[in-house]
Amino acid sequence: MKAINDFVAQFNASIPLDTSRIVRNRNRYYLLSKKLKQQVPKAFFYAGAYLGAVKGASFFPSFLLLAMIAERKANKLVIDKKTAWLFICGRDIFKKGILQVNGSRKGNYTLILNEHNECLGFGKILHNIREENDANKVVVKNILDIGDFLRRETRQSSRR
Amino acid sequence: MMSSKQFFVNRYQILGWTYKEVKLKQAIRINTMNASRDTVVSRLESLGIALEKIPFLEDGYWIRKSKFSVGATAEYLLGLYSIQEAAAQIPVTLFTELEDKTVLDACASPGGKTVQLANLMKNRDVIVALELKQRKMFALANQLERSRVTNTAVYNMDAREASKLSMKFDCVLLDVPCSGNYVTDKGWFSKRTIEDVYKNARRQRQILTEAVKVTKDGGEIVYATCSLEPEENELNIDWAIGALNVKVEEINCHGEKGLTNVFGKELDRSIEKCRRIWPDQTQGFFVCKLRKQA
Repeated sequence: MKAINDFVAQFNASIPLDTSRIVRNRNRYYLLSKKLKQQVPKAFFYAGAYLGAVKGASFFPSFLLLAMIAERKANKLVIDKKTAWLFICGRDIFKKGILQVNGSRKGNYTLILNEHNECLGFGKILHNIREENDANKVVVKNILDIGDFLRRETRQSSRR
Repeated sequence: MMSSKQFFVNRYQILGWTYKEVKLKQAIRINTMNASRDTVVSRLESLGIALEKIPFLEDGYWIRKSKFSVGATAEYLLGLYSIQEAAAQIPVTLFTELEDKTVLDACASPGGKTVQLANLMKNRDVIVALELKQRKMFALANQLERSRVTNTAVYNMDAREASKLSMKFDCVLLDVPCSGNYVTDKGWFSKRTIEDVYKNARRQRQILTEAVKVTKDGGEIVYATCSLEPEENELNIDWAIGALNVKVEEINCHGEKGLTNVFGKELDRSIEKCRRIWPDQTQGFFVCKLRKQA
């Protein structure tokens, strides 16, 4: 639970998670609905809303958790269509692709949203965005984006 | 000696259908729990993807034209739609009611129908999804995460052991492992033998038997295959009517009536309530709804 809260705090956010419904299964955390918690046996492979996994000292969030944070007050950037596409392809974000800024301090994590306010992933702020004058400067480093769903498939099929 | 292709094509002819080559159209299904139909259609059209509404499905569209893979758009990665063949979208729509139900998806991977179930259940209540093959588990989990499904528990378990869960279900989806058909597998005729068909039919009967055990009295079982072979379809249902405590229910969907005479054998008349889809606009498919008797 601490791993999740600490991760969420890096976006200057907090989300009210009912700890009684969070289940840790190996290194993965899941948030189960009341019905799931009551009805299904514990030995599942995956259940409810997958929140993320702990590996060593790091927490790797799920996209469901990122979407949950995005519904709250948190560091967020809204980016334009072209930048959104490049971000999904794993690229970093230039200042010129940013349409809206909410939380811009260097070193913080920020959620990356498209023009429809859908969360595409998150990144690390490399420069104070509001103060940066160079439009062609990379201001956010891509940490995780939804293109990862495709990369996972490639990784998993190459392991077989 | 007769080729494998000739053998199967002759069988289809005896069953009343003439073999033809079919070019499968790619189809998508909109996940209306994540976005409205109109929103998704207009976003895809703005990307230059030409869609055609599938007349027999509420949320299904064929891809008429696209310059890029529909499996690599932001909308797909955000779970606004799934890629799912048109006939494969039918089984889940056949349950009378899914809200407030506990549902078993007994052979779940890769998860397209699990997501469709969650969608029709508005992501509420409970789905239990089983998958036997360990290597398919991550793909199933990825599909659920991408589509933002939160009402499902997934188990690495053989559908033939579903009673080990100690649960009873209102609705059971049996999209059973089958021999497939030549439309989705170009090398089908050279790979398949009638022995494969018999082997799959035996396993399907075992899955059906277990499914009936874990279904509540009065509960519904939707049985589906993408096989054209009657041993895996009408003959299995005919067997189930006699051996298990089930009756065939009326369904209203795309497809022809189930066969009630297979290679000279007369089957239970209620089997005409099943639907057999010969390849044409879609791949080959068979679907049937059973109700467990009290």
